[in-house]
Amino acid sequence: MVKTDLYEYPPELREEFEATEAIQFRDGSSATAADVWHFMTEIAPKRYPFAYTQKKYAGVRLSRDIHLPSAIKNHYLLLTMNDRITRSRENGAPVIFVQGGQSVDPYYAAGGIALRPASVGLWARGRHEGLGLNEEVVRQHKQKEKAYHAISFEACQTAGYENIQEGGLPIDMVAPFTCLRCSDISYGVEAHRHGPNKAVKLMNIDYPMRHQADKTWAVEYFAQNLRRLTSEIGKLAGREVTDADLSKEIRLHNEGRRLAIETAELWWSADLPPTNGVDRRSLYQMGGMEVHGDPSASLTVLRESHAYIKERVNKGIKAEGVVDKPIRLFVCGSCVFPNDFRIEEAGAIIVGQDNHWSDISTLVEEDGDPYQNLAHAILSYPYEQSVEVRAAWTIEQLKKSRADGVLFLYQWGCNTQSAIARMLCDTIKRDTGIPTMIIEQHEGGSEQSEQLLNRVNAFIEML
Amino acid sequence: MPIKTLEVIRKRLEERPAELRKLRESGQKVVGWTGYNVPEEIIYALGFIPIRIAIGGDDRLVEVGGRYASSKNCVFIREIVGVFSENEDPYIQQTDILAFDATCLQNFRAAEVIEYYFKKDVIVLGVPRNFYWEEGKEYFGKEADEFARLLEERAGVALDLAKLGESVALYNDIRKTLKSIYTFQAAKDNVISWVEVFDLIQAGDLLDKKEYLSLLHETLAELRALQHNPIIEVDGSEGRIFISGSLIPRGDRKLISIITSVGGRIVGDDIWTGILPHLDLEIKEISPAGVALGYLNRTPHAALPYLDLESDRRLKKLHELLGEFKAQGVIYHTLRYCDPFTFKAKETKDVLAKSDIPVLEIHTEYAGSDYEALRTRLEAFVEMIKIKAESAAEVIV
Amino acid sequence: MSLKRNFFAGVDVGSLAAKSVILEDGKVFATGLVPSGFDSVESGLNALNLALETAGLKKEDLTYIVGTGYGRVSAPYANKAVTEITCHAKGANFLHPTVRTIIDMGGQDCKAIRIDQDGAVVDFAMNDKCAAGTGRFLEVMAGVFKVKLEDLGALSLSATELVPMSSTCTVFAESETISLVARGEKPANILNGIHHAIANRISGLFARVGITSDVFFSGGVAKNTGMKTAIEEALKVTIVKPEIDPQLIGALGAAVLARNFSKKQGLWS
Ligand code: SF4
Ligand code: SF4
Repeated sequence: MVKTDLYEYPPELREEFEATEAIQFRDGSSATAADVWHFMTEIAPKRYPFAYTQKKYAGVRLSRDIHLPSAIKNHYLLLTMNDRITRSRENGAPVIFVQGGQSVDPYYAAGGIALRPASVGLWARGRHEGLGLNEEVVRQHKQKEKAYHAISFEACQTAGYENIQEGGLPIDMVAPFTCLRCSDISYGVEAHRHGPNKAVKLMNIDYPMRHQADKTWAVEYFAQNLRRLTSEIGKLAGREVTDADLSKEIRLHNEGRRLAIETAELWWSADLPPTNGVDRRSLYQMGGMEVHGDPSASLTVLRESHAYIKERVNKGIKAEGVVDKPIRLFVCGSCVFPNDFRIEEAGAIIVGQDNHWSDISTLVEEDGDPYQNLAHAILSYPYEQSVEVRAAWTIEQLKKSRADGVLFLYQWGCNTQSAIARMLCDTIKRDTGIPTMIIEQHEGGSEQSEQLLNRVNAFIEML
Repeated sequence: MPIKTLEVIRKRLEERPAELRKLRESGQKVVGWTGYNVPEEIIYALGFIPIRIAIGGDDRLVEVGGRYASSKNCVFIREIVGVFSENEDPYIQQTDILAFDATCLQNFRAAEVIEYYFKKDVIVLGVPRNFYWEEGKEYFGKEADEFARLLEERAGVALDLAKLGESVALYNDIRKTLKSIYTFQAAKDNVISWVEVFDLIQAGDLLDKKEYLSLLHETLAELRALQHNPIIEVDGSEGRIFISGSLIPRGDRKLISIITSVGGRIVGDDIWTGILPHLDLEIKEISPAGVALGYLNRTPHAALPYLDLESDRRLKKLHELLGEFKAQGVIYHTLRYCDPFTFKAKETKDVLAKSDIPVLEIHTEYAGSDYEALRTRLEAFVEMIKIKAESAAEVIV
Repeated sequence: MSLKRNFFAGVDVGSLAAKSVILEDGKVFATGLVPSGFDSVESGLNALNLALETAGLKKEDLTYIVGTGYGRVSAPYANKAVTEITCHAKGANFLHPTVRTIIDMGGQDCKAIRIDQDGAVVDFAMNDKCAAGTGRFLEVMAGVFKVKLEDLGALSLSATELVPMSSTCTVFAESETISLVARGEKPANILNGIHHAIANRISGLFARVGITSDVFFSGGVAKNTGMKTAIEEALKVTIVKPEIDPQLIGALGAAVLARNFSKKQGLWS
């Protein structure tokens, strides 16, 4: 297969990059910028050639904003996922499959590692080395197809079934928050019961619905779910989990959340976009501290980049490859994201999203019973409230981010977000007049379908 | 030999919408409910007239509903939304208040859509996914209290526990009588068919409860007169079919009519518009929470995930009913985008294969376009189980 | 012992082609294959007449006729109608008694059928509303590449790479294919991707019914060598070499059943 024509980081960048900060890991170890550089220029191109693709629109393509160290460090963390998770697991940390759009404080408090579906996919991907882009996509399709066979063709969320049951990925527990935003996940968890891997523990962390944050009994119930969760993970990790453990973890994660909020506000305040869309998204998401399977690593990278963003904003530096006055798009809906490269080529940029932001931008009270506090915060996620409340919050984000238009994307087969799409868009239009567009995404290849992108482009042209 | 009471019931159903209108004019309120764990007794005890919103089979309404919700919602929910949009159903027109539950999240979303677009007064009952945990039960009890409180607010009266007790007794009697009638349809030389009993069960969703109970008693008396002692026995040539899977609401007759037209005999079901919700409902305490728990402790609906296959009560019940009604094959029916049942299709098939019970999966929607394709499958399935039952030599050499 | 020769016919009217097989006792005597028209009765008769002509027989010479396929519901020429699922099982069993699994890919649907040693169906599954892997789907693809339907397989086998296809839905696959062509991917490689995507999807039917050797591939699509190879890879099986045109298996099974039924009814001994 064709593996020539891979992207190379310019060697002259080395010195500048190696002067940046080291990544600190949760286990106390660290990776210096020189380690990162070595891995990204010598090792990863051989082990993971797909990431070095030159295909302009490939979603896995490395960011070309090479003067932003966090971009390279983020790729480093994603490409070392398998190495790191495997090592941590061998050192006794159970790995737990969770849902996207949820916080992970309790999992880490109990000594586990929480990975959302996309991260589980990254871990699984890391176990197959030497694949070019097409081969990698074919591999993924084959895996997904297995889950469809075992569960349903109408499933979009299979709770990692293909990797955990069919792919031998050593996940210890599947325990996502269920019901939150997704209709499929709890059935996905249940599906594991008929898979061959009997060792994996199953649990639904049951997210009650309908005015949930205002109901004391709902908060109490969710807090009980969280207690059961930490105790189960604690058993796997071989330790007793105390309230103090959770309080400490909440404080740490609040720091990430605060930093993400500050970074977002900085980014939004800038006249010229300080980063491209891909890098912006990873930065915001690092505040959730889930993306790398290591909260400390995410936090160090986020801290460092915050300073960079600040400098770029203050000096009015625009990110490479972004046009001067791009159309600003805000994305709503779960599990799908439009191709940033195409969007930027069309003269627009994605400035924010509701999913993976609703949770990250919700801080947790630090004084008092940590379970109650956490439960209350989680049940308050704006994304999970009635449509009027969710819309009001979304509008606030639209204003802060100065968005010109809203794209609501949902995955084919998604019953939940698809059902909300029209109501949410109608409310936004009614209250702000900001144009909205709803798009359904079908199974994705290495690049997004022409149809979807045509519609996005037409929308951008309209704006 | 037609059962006379069934005629009476048909007639009463026709008259019912006009009757509901009159009752409302005299100040009574109608609560339309949908979901899988709505404790109807509470609604009834507060003086409301409960009717169940379970309508299907109309592709046009599905299309209309999809415009408000989405084309990725289950066809049932889309049709319900479509029904509210068009407001032409004579029963739905008479509803004042709506009660939905969150057993299935799609039902929950439908509540939001109907509330948002059609400005309906909707009460929602939260349902725990961890329904087998003590904590889950406690949460559900509290939700039931809240459900009752919201209804009380609308009724303008407090819930009288004596009335709730009466309501429970009435519903218990209905459930018991239905169960007795149901046995007759599966018997040898049956005088009532499964389809007739199915209609009879669904009539209860709409008729006045007391009247319905007396009609059930009359039906049972007629059946007993005609067939003193129903014996359930296998006759090799009939192809005894059991229907499992997504609900089949009133108006949706596609699958049932094809099965019958290709020579299959339906002898049982565990669908949520059939006999299942009426089985094993034991109310231990007369209170909103007590009634609600009775509901939650039944055979769980497929939308409530249960994480251990070995002790799954839904599958146990299925096995039990298959044995009781001596079914030879299962048609596992799933509606388009009905994930609760679709996700479990393969698993159910694998589990039943261990007991050597053939399963045919039918995945369908309300459009008629797949009629022929369904017919082929169902016909082949009936051919298959007949051959199996009779031994190859008898039917097809 | 009757001295009269006994002939039995099976007529299978599918969405793209009508097929018929005439059987004389234990062997195939003549066959007929014509494209289906709008009138399924006429299509069935055309196929039957073609076989009769080849055999030098008249309709009256036939002892019994079984109709199958979509046209079976209205087949006045037939003595009995049986579904194509039962017929495929019988047909494959007649030709190759060791066959236990059949993959049937026809004009508008795909079937996975598992059978026992007597050719009785044990389990089956059909694809739902999804055109993936059907003759219609491949016709659309042949249209996109402007090649003949029968050349698709060979073209795909000449691929040097596999271009991933994300959709097996006709509508989406068509537009995806067009954009892949526009991006400069080679037709053979795209087709290779298409055949593999379909094979993967079809193997889902087998996740439902299970797979036991020997495996037989029937239906019009069975003649596509690219699909055969892709299926062998996806299911990790070897497909038996058919002794007659795999598109005729349904009609053959119908003819076998015609013989059995008529014997049971005492029409011959
Ligand atoms: S697309 Fe919707 S149903 Fe699918 S995983 Fe995401 S939220 Fe769940
Ligand atoms: S159980 Fe199925 S049919 Fe019922 S509301 Fe849920 S998805 Fe729809």
